[in-house]
Amino acid sequence: MSLIDLLALLPVLILAFGGTAILMVGAWYREPRPLLAGGIATALIGAVAAGMVPPPSLEIAGLFSAGGYARFFTILWALLAAAGLMVATRYIMEKRLGAGEYVSLVLYAAAGMALLSSATHLLGLFLALETFTLAFYILIASNRRCEMAAEAGLKYLLMGAVATGFMAFGIALIYASSGTLALPDAALRMTAAAGGLQPWGLLGWGLVLIAVGFKISLAPFHLWTPDVYQGAPAPVGGLLATGSKGAVVAALVGMLSLAGPVWHDLVDLLWLLAAVTMLAGALGALGQKNLKRLLAYSSVTHMGTLLVGLLCQNTEGLAATTFYVVVYAITSLGAFAVIASLADQRGEPMAFDEWRGLGYRHPVRSAVLVLILLSLAGLPGTAGFMAKFAVFQAALQSGYLGLVLIGVFASVVSFAFYLRVAMLLFQPEAPAVQRHAGTAPEHAVVAVCTAAVLVFGLFPGILFDLIGRLLP
Amino acid sequence: MNDHLLSLMTFFPLVGMLIVLFLPREADRLIKTVTLIVTIIVFLISLPLAFDDVFINSSAMQYTEFANWISIGQYFQMNYYVGIDGISLWLVLLTTFIMPIAILSTWHAVDKNTKGFMALALLLETGMLGAFISLDLFLFYVFWELMLVPMYFMIGIWGGKNRIYAAIKFFLFTAVGSLLMLVAIIYVYYYAIQAGVPFENGFSIAHFYQLDIPAHLQTWLFVAFAFSFAIKVPMFPVHTWLPDAHTEAPTAGSVILAAILLKMGTYGYVRFAIPLFPVATMKFTPFLALLAVIGIIYGALVAMMQDDVKKLVAYSSVSHLGFVMLGIFAMNLQGLSGGMLQMINHGISTGALFLIVGFIYERRHTRLIVDFGGLSKVMPVFATIFMIVTFSSVGLPGTNGFVGEFLILVGAFESNLRVFTVFATTGVILAAVYMLWMFQRVMMGKVTNPKNAELKDLSAREVAIMLPLVLFIFWIGFYPNVFFEKMNPSLENLINQVKDKQHIAMIAEDMDPTVTQITVNDLR
Repeated sequence: MSLIDLLALLPVLILAFGGTAILMVGAWYREPRPLLAGGIATALIGAVAAGMVPPPSLEIAGLFSAGGYARFFTILWALLAAAGLMVATRYIMEKRLGAGEYVSLVLYAAAGMALLSSATHLLGLFLALETFTLAFYILIASNRRCEMAAEAGLKYLLMGAVATGFMAFGIALIYASSGTLALPDAALRMTAAAGGLQPWGLLGWGLVLIAVGFKISLAPFHLWTPDVYQGAPAPVGGLLATGSKGAVVAALVGMLSLAGPVWHDLVDLLWLLAAVTMLAGALGALGQKNLKRLLAYSSVTHMGTLLVGLLCQNTEGLAATTFYVVVYAITSLGAFAVIASLADQRGEPMAFDEWRGLGYRHPVRSAVLVLILLSLAGLPGTAGFMAKFAVFQAALQSGYLGLVLIGVFASVVSFAFYLRVAMLLFQPEAPAVQRHAGTAPEHAVVAVCTAAVLVFGLFPGILFDLIGRLLP
Repeated sequence: MNDHLLSLMTFFPLVGMLIVLFLPREADRLIKTVTLIVTIIVFLISLPLAFDDVFINSSAMQYTEFANWISIGQYFQMNYYVGIDGISLWLVLLTTFIMPIAILSTWHAVDKNTKGFMALALLLETGMLGAFISLDLFLFYVFWELMLVPMYFMIGIWGGKNRIYAAIKFFLFTAVGSLLMLVAIIYVYYYAIQAGVPFENGFSIAHFYQLDIPAHLQTWLFVAFAFSFAIKVPMFPVHTWLPDAHTEAPTAGSVILAAILLKMGTYGYVRFAIPLFPVATMKFTPFLALLAVIGIIYGALVAMMQDDVKKLVAYSSVSHLGFVMLGIFAMNLQGLSGGMLQMINHGISTGALFLIVGFIYERRHTRLIVDFGGLSKVMPVFATIFMIVTFSSVGLPGTNGFVGEFLILVGAFESNLRVFTVFATTGVILAAVYMLWMFQRVMMGKVTNPKNAELKDLSAREVAIMLPLVLFIFWIGFYPNVFFEKMNPSLENLINQVKDKQHIAMIAEDMDPTVTQITVNDLR
């Protein structure tokens, strides 16, 4: 690895070494506030470095890209880590967790996600994926005294291990049939060599897809999602829902734009996955009585919709997917931030009964949550609508009318549960108990997410133009 | 100012909403007053439209405003494109006219969380006005969905016992239709782009009108649009959300829902479904007319059997809007102008009926017919107003209802829908039966229930609410020409445009039946 490579890798290095430094400092100096502030600052510096320091070369050791697309997601995940830390401050202090460990793990996860979004090589992909999942295993169960969190951590670990197995085996098969792990070639050589995908190669890609399915919880690999969301504390849940899924999807978009032809053979499978995922998420959410579980199922539906965008196999679809990832990340971060800001010594409000009438106690945050739910549901005026609209129109243009109709059906079902929660918040009888007033950093994160939901909903052109220029 | 009159009118409520949001929550009366003032200002802004004679001479869109709104690379382009013509003119004015009345009706009815209610009402007004003046399909869709959310919360938070069920049902029914419409909108858009409509025109309906969409495709697209609007109208058999929503909604919500939101459906047919897909319209006319007639008779019969006054009024809406649909699908000037006028009439008289139901509910906290009787002796002013409104709803000559229904029936009788007209006419008689019967049971006879003996007559505020409505009942009843002369040019233009296309399609089909057999695949 030359100096040029290191320079190109600078943002990720800032995150990783910054995390390590904070871990070291944290071992002796256990005051949480400065450590957290340091973590937030590191994440922000990483984001600035990714945006301001032009990479000397566009690829790093043949494993990762340092192009605009990779940098864009590096910035996004670094900012997300900063937001995640801002939201986590009170949680760490109240639960007396090791601030150094927590901060460093979040930064490592961000580094892993940034690498994943820029992977151009299957090994790079694998490494990056493992980096951030490892961080998450610990983060989810970071509060050892909470049984739910421990259970969630274990579940995530087991599912993650299975997925890793699939991924490694799939990569091995791809290597066996193509003789390379570099991304465009690993896909292209198989098509060229035997006039079609060799069976082993196809199996390999299928296994990689299953692993991806576990990570972004596509049905039928989504069963861990509600339990983990419920058990993980909201600050971690926010990162898990947005970053870990978004980074995998970003990697998929990157892969797809490089290795298009392979996916032709997988189109039917992807079609089915998308349809099943959208329906399973929407129908599963209907019966939920817990907001975090509901958000979990909602994320399943959203991942299904994302897959529709990926299926389109044209720049329009990829742009729509990328837009969707960004919007989804912002929106669900906002949702988790609201939950986290309301948490007090009773824990986070989760069951619907705890939300009933909360709008009369905390009108602003409840209204924000309604807006976020409307955006998740995809109502016009919010970013969620533009994202869904973009995906559906790309799919229609590519001729996936059936999938769009299924998506429409899933959307209607999801209106039912999002809106029910939105309504619960303002039910007049038996108003909920007073919750925590929230701290300034929490309010800041919520405010930024709200503003982004509205701005990207009313003027999505800003983000679309950016994405259009960045797509690999 | 004329350049931006429509925008000013549409977004002023939004400004009002922001003001309301910053008022203290306890200042109940202040919030109501501010909201009332805002809606009155909006009405005053829109008033010059009513006196503008340009609508008499021109069928074109007036007061148009155009601005690029969202442009996303080379993928799609949406514009802020609004305008008003004789078709939307009276609906816009109806909206701005009904809103202050609806707000005034909440004075005592809404006492919890007034701030939220008023903010939603103002948001709703922006949504409704925007939907009526949109000339860009995408913009229309945005406003169309924007209306849903406030109404959903109005029903679900301030409604009756079963409010959550009713609110979700209301939302889901409409959402199913509107999402299918969204898919169809995207389809039309791509068709238009491929047919050479310039990209920067976005979803402009004026350009979409000129497309020659193949008949087969029109069928599907029309179904998507028509289904969405049919739910909103509501037409039989997708009307089932309406009685629930109306019964559970607070009075102001019911008034707005009945007077304006339902008109979105019928307006959608006139503005979008029919002119965009004239050939498919031709095919579906008998079917939709049949549904309209079923709605007229079924709605009336069910209304007759109700023991709850509010439900009765709700079902009467199904019946009345069946008339509107029949008039629209007659596709001649009498039918269409009758249908348009009947939309206004229904807005006024059903809005008034819901207000009346609200008055007695506020006094007695019941709406069951059996709980009343002999009210006319206790509340003479109320009885007079109630009677006038009842006559208007029944369609007695001299009231607005007569003009509208008569024109619809004449128009339909002269069109291909003659058979349907015969059956529809029974609806007029049935309307007289259920309305007058209800009036008799509630207002006439002796005061049987002692609780009714001491009811207070209408207060000055309540009379003030009703007077403008009564005025319009007679005005339209005696001199409807003011309304017709402004809507007719646009309607004539619409009829010619649709008829021409239908004519061409019929000739093409006669010459070579395969010409129109083009499949969905052509779109790709």
